[in-house]
Order: sequence, then structure tokens, then C-alpha cells
Amino acid sequence: MECKVAVAWMQEYLDGDLSGGDAALLRQHMSECQACQARYDALARTEALARALPFEPAPAGLEARILASLPKAGRRPAAWTGWVRRHPAISAAALFLVVMLSSFVTMWNQDRQLSVAGPDLDNVVIQGDKVIVPAGKEVSGDLTVVNGSAEVLGEVKGDLTVIDGNVTLASTAHIAGHVQEIDRAVDWAWYKLRSWFGTLAYGP
Amino acid sequence: MTLEAMDARLARLARKGDQRAFAELVSMYKDKLYHLAYRMIGNRQEAEDVVQDAFLRVFKNLDRYDENQKFSTWIYRIATNLCIDRLRKRRNVYSLDSESSEHEGLDGYAMLPSDERTPESELLLSETQKIVQEAMDTLPAKYKGVMVLRYMQDLSLQEISDVLGMPVTTVKTRVHRGREFLRKKLERKL
Repeated sequence: MECKVAVAWMQEYLDGDLSGGDAALLRQHMSECQACQARYDALARTEALARALPFEPAPAGLEARILASLPKAGRRPAAWTGWVRRHPAISAAALFLVVMLSSFVTMWNQDRQLSVAGPDLDNVVIQGDKVIVPAGKEVSGDLTVVNGSAEVLGEVKGDLTVIDGNVTLASTAHIAGHVQEIDRAVDWAWYKLRSWFGTLAYGP
Repeated sequence: MTLEAMDARLARLARKGDQRAFAELVSMYKDKLYHLAYRMIGNRQEAEDVVQDAFLRVFKNLDRYDENQKFSTWIYRIATNLCIDRLRKRRNVYSLDSESSEHEGLDGYAMLPSDERTPESELLLSETQKIVQEAMDTLPAKYKGVMVLRYMQDLSLQEISDVLGMPVTTVKTRVHRGREFLRKKLERKL
């Protein structure tokens, strides 16, 4: 064993990190190499001396001075700020949810006027909040009515969707797609979400 | 209940504003921190200041104590950082590393007004212990923190790495160099 390796292993040995086999090799080397033996002895002595330094207890009165130096009550922040600081992810998520919900509710409440959407509205007649597809006329695609009622006497070649309103179908009515009435906030949100994803997927 | 569990419980109570729980933590850790600070700084008055400052910081930052970590690791880190700061500031003032070769041992550290040990405590120290203590005092700050935590507080290499926020391999290297440094210092004097 080279002395350089032996010196490194002495340190490992003093750390308690040298395996039994390696320790035996080191001992073997030191029995043949006086310089390394002397060096190890000095290191071990240093180690023992450093550990043997007497414990210095804190001077009397320090504890009282520490306690007296603490700021008095009133410094404690409200409990929730501590909670927020310890749970940043949950707090951010909760805040996000509150903002989303409030904007959703605002939209829900504001969005009260009648709107009619569809690719072909030429034959649609609007009276007050009533959307009429007159008898004998046809709408060539989907028809969506928001905040109003739909009265179909003619033909709709796509889906008919009514949000926050009701549908009246005459006996002459013919609707090729589905008829859907939505009047709950949750359904509405679901519908919005679906149409939004639809837009993402297929374009407007 | 283990010591760690007790620490965690007291820290939780103290965080909720329980002054008695905090006083309990002070009484449990004041000696350990004082010993740590005194060995690192080598001056009683400054060691006392550091301990007081450390507890103040602990008190103010209890909200930020991460319970996944041992309380002792956290409080040692705060105290060790304060000591290292002081040692750094001191070096800037006295430029301690310029060791004069003709006066062996009379470097800046020895010329500090640091060791006002009282005659009583002086008597209790053997000649050997005094030499060892002086050797510890001359350790560069980089190695001192590691050595004091290793020998005076009996922390494992892993615990030291947690306290100082450095990899275990770095801690190991510093322990080895610190040990060599002390060996050389002591070989000439003992």
C-alpha cells in the first residue's frame, strides 16, 4: 500500500467509515511503515484531545436574559397567515378556485339577454324573448338559444339547444339532431366547457 | 417520547404562542448553543450575544420551521450561521490570516481581546487543554464549524451536512483537512 492511500484511509477510519477488511490492510501497512504509524498516532491523539475539551455551560442568567429579550405578545400574526405560508400550493389552488367561481357567477348573472346562434338564421323570427322557426321554413344547421324560449313549427336540420328557456315543438316540427334544454348552472358550465373544447379541437 | 418528538411538540406549542413551551426549548438548548458558540468564537461575551440572537431568530421564525426536519438541526443551523458571520466580520477588521512568521502563534486571532477567561475557569483547564483550545481557535472558519459540530456536539457527518446545507462529501473533506490542521498545530506544541 502506498503511504498516500494509507493517509486517506486513516481519515476514513477515524470517521468510522473504513470497512473491516480495509482496516486490516491499513494496520498491516502501518506495522511496516513507521512514518504512517506515527502520523496515525498523532491524528488519533488529536481526535481524542479535541473530544475531551470540557463542556462550557451557559453562564447563569443567560436564560432569563433570552426570555426577557423576546418581543411581547401581539407580535404573533393571525393563524391563517401561518397556515397559508406552510401550505402554498393549497392556498394558491383555493384562491384560483375563488376567482374562477366568482367570475363564473358574475358571467352567469350578467348574461341574461337573449342570444341566438347558428350557421343559418335567415329563416328565424324573433318576437320578444321567443325564437320562432315558422311553419314550412327550415334552419339548415344547429340552433342555439340562450335566455329565451324556442318555438319550432318548421324544420331544424341540426341540434336544437336551449339554455335557460324552454322548447315548444309544434306537430309540424321536424328536428334532425338532438333537442337539449339546459337550465342549471352546472349543466351550462358543462356545455360551455364542451363547446370550448370543441372549438379547440375543430376550430370555431 | 423521544427527544426529537418532544422537540417537535414543544416547537408546535411555541408556534401557537405558548410562552412556556418556548422557555422549555430555551432551557433545553441554551447550554448546547452556548458551547457551540463559545468553541467557534472563543469569546464568552460574543458567544452569549450569539446565543441570545439565535433564540430571538428561532422565536421570530417559528412559523417557518419545517417539521420534517429535526428541530436540533434547525437551531444549530441558525446558531452556526450567526457564528460564521461573526468570524467573517472579524476577519475583515483584523485581517487575521496574515500570520507573522517570527512570532509563532501570534497571528491575529491570538491578539484579539477574545480570551477574557476568568482566573477561576483558567485553573480548571490543564495545560494540554489550553493548547488544544488555542489550536481550535486558530482553525479557519471554514473548518471550524464542521469541527465544532463534529467534536463538541457529536453530530454525525450526515447531520453536519444537514446543518450546514452542504453535501456530505464536502463535510468529509473539511473534517479531514481540519483534523490535519489540528494535528500539525498540536504536534509542534505537545
